[in-house]
Amino acid sequence: MKRPTAGRASAALALGLAAVALSVALSCALGSQHISVVAALSGLEPDRSILLGLRLPRALLGAVVGCALAASGTALQALLRNPLAEPFVLGVSGGAALGGTVVLLAAAGLARLSGPAGALLASAPPVVLGAVAGAVGSTALVFALGRIGGRLVPEAALLVGIVFNAFAAGVITILKVLVPPEQAARLLYWLMGALGYETAGTLAAGAALVGVATGALVLLSGQLNLLSLGDEEAASLGVHVGRARGAVFLAASTATGAAVALSGMVGFVGLIVPHLVRRLAGPDHRLLVPASALFGAAFLVLADTAARLAFLTLGSEPPVGALTAFAGGPFFLWLLRRSGRSA
Amino acid sequence: MRPLTLALALALLAALPARAAPEPRPGAAAGGAEWLGPPPPASPRRVVSLAPSLTDVVVALGEAARLAGVTRYDDAPEVKGLPRVGGFLDPSPEAVLALRPDLVLWLADGGAFPAVRRIAALGVPVLALPVVDVPDVLACARLVGAALGNAAAGERLARSLEEAIERTSRRAAALPRVRVLMVVGREPLVVAGPGSYPDALLRIAGGANVAEGNRPWPIYPLEKAVAANPDLVLDAAANEPAEGMARLAAIPAVRAGRVARLPNDDALRPGPRLVRALDDLLRALHPEATTP
Repeated sequence: MKRPTAGRASAALALGLAAVALSVALSCALGSQHISVVAALSGLEPDRSILLGLRLPRALLGAVVGCALAASGTALQALLRNPLAEPFVLGVSGGAALGGTVVLLAAAGLARLSGPAGALLASAPPVVLGAVAGAVGSTALVFALGRIGGRLVPEAALLVGIVFNAFAAGVITILKVLVPPEQAARLLYWLMGALGYETAGTLAAGAALVGVATGALVLLSGQLNLLSLGDEEAASLGVHVGRARGAVFLAASTATGAAVALSGMVGFVGLIVPHLVRRLAGPDHRLLVPASALFGAAFLVLADTAARLAFLTLGSEPPVGALTAFAGGPFFLWLLRRSGRSA
Repeated sequence: MRPLTLALALALLAALPARAAPEPRPGAAAGGAEWLGPPPPASPRRVVSLAPSLTDVVVALGEAARLAGVTRYDDAPEVKGLPRVGGFLDPSPEAVLALRPDLVLWLADGGAFPAVRRIAALGVPVLALPVVDVPDVLACARLVGAALGNAAAGERLARSLEEAIERTSRRAAALPRVRVLMVVGREPLVVAGPGSYPDALLRIAGGANVAEGNRPWPIYPLEKAVAANPDLVLDAAANEPAEGMARLAAIPAVRAGRVARLPNDDALRPGPRLVRALDDLLRALHPEATTP
């Protein structure tokens, strides 16, 4: 594959960075309350608290989650050689939600024996670990069961993912019955796919994990180019297919697991963003992965801003996951029809 | 490819609504009240209430003038013109902060915790009140009174609530126990279970709750409701049309017309409306003894 010209690459990445900055700025400027940025920056309350304490951390959370979902969506599409692959559709998000739920449930059980131990298990790091483990497990399952006669069949893998998603949703609903009502309320809030108000520590830990995972995907992006040609072709070009695919699995699952732990199941970001970015940056993953990560961050920040503003007159806001599904569902079907025609 | 693509699309659509199953009722955390955020002023002047029942407490204390904001569910006439700051499960921290409150009253609940924790972290004192049972309602009146710098009013309110409880249980003691199923939702059938607030009110008013189990708001199997054969079915779904009870005609009491409809949701609001709720329950359970 031809190397992307330096000019095109730097233009796409600069555009991506600008989009992130612009979306965060917009998200900070808009909200239910009219505030003055000048007043906020000069320390006037409540403008300062609203800008720096509420809007900015939430925008950063959206950027982290959007970056993780878009980058892993790009990677999964390359691995599966199918444009419909995406963490939510493939059941990776569902697995992560299930993993996190199991940890929260175990914490609720443990809290009955020992309050502090239960609280410790319900804190962010174990929940993130549970979500990452769930994401890795479901990715492994999807790619193992998606093989027919030793060959990966993308449509079969997608079906496995969709069925696994429904299965995970059912299991979570059952688990929700088992936990005390206040835990169930917390669980529900988390799973809705809403960007909320995480503590600074949780946000920093999540950002670090997403940063490492996305960085790994960027480093692996050259091999993604070869893997997307097919296993035999990649092997004949000197790629250690098993090892490379395992590394991409792990990085994409980690990014998705961290994103789900931070904000629940936000679907279709990994579908919409890579497709739009491909039109701008072309098919080379060395550019596509980092550009998708940046535009994914901008996309989710903008979507969350829209979610905050859309129903302002009703005094309520939908979770951003509802908005991305609203846009992503039809987008998925459109892609499905299009890929059906070309097949 | 074609049948497969169709299966894909159908499976995806089927998987979507499954993840958004609504919880039938919000729950409240058990345990003691707790202060979050900085220490509160001795006599706060701008109070935001994050639950209608807590608004009721402030109003009953005669301190409605100190309220600066309430939830979108608040319907007390005293707070009609006040700004709304979102719901009970989804308060908007931005709307709360914009009101520059010096006290936020919060009915402790898991769902809203991250938002409330952030409000407290940004410098607003928050009083978290777990109100689940009748003793919690009495404690809540005293705690809110003290937090507003008017402990005497809190004590008076708690005493008057205690008297209403005393009065009702004295009258009920002389009357036969009535076996009751209290319906709060018809489809699915959700009832007030053991450990719920209305369960405690029923006991005071001379009722025996036939709902079994260890969940306060169970989705109840209709079969169990039929087998329990209650003397009376209480229709507490005040916001739904009365005709909806016809769906539960398999329960003998419903078929026989032994259904009492509560006029409002006072029995579901753990707060000062307890007095009226007990009166209504007593009347519903013992019409023969309470009508002149």
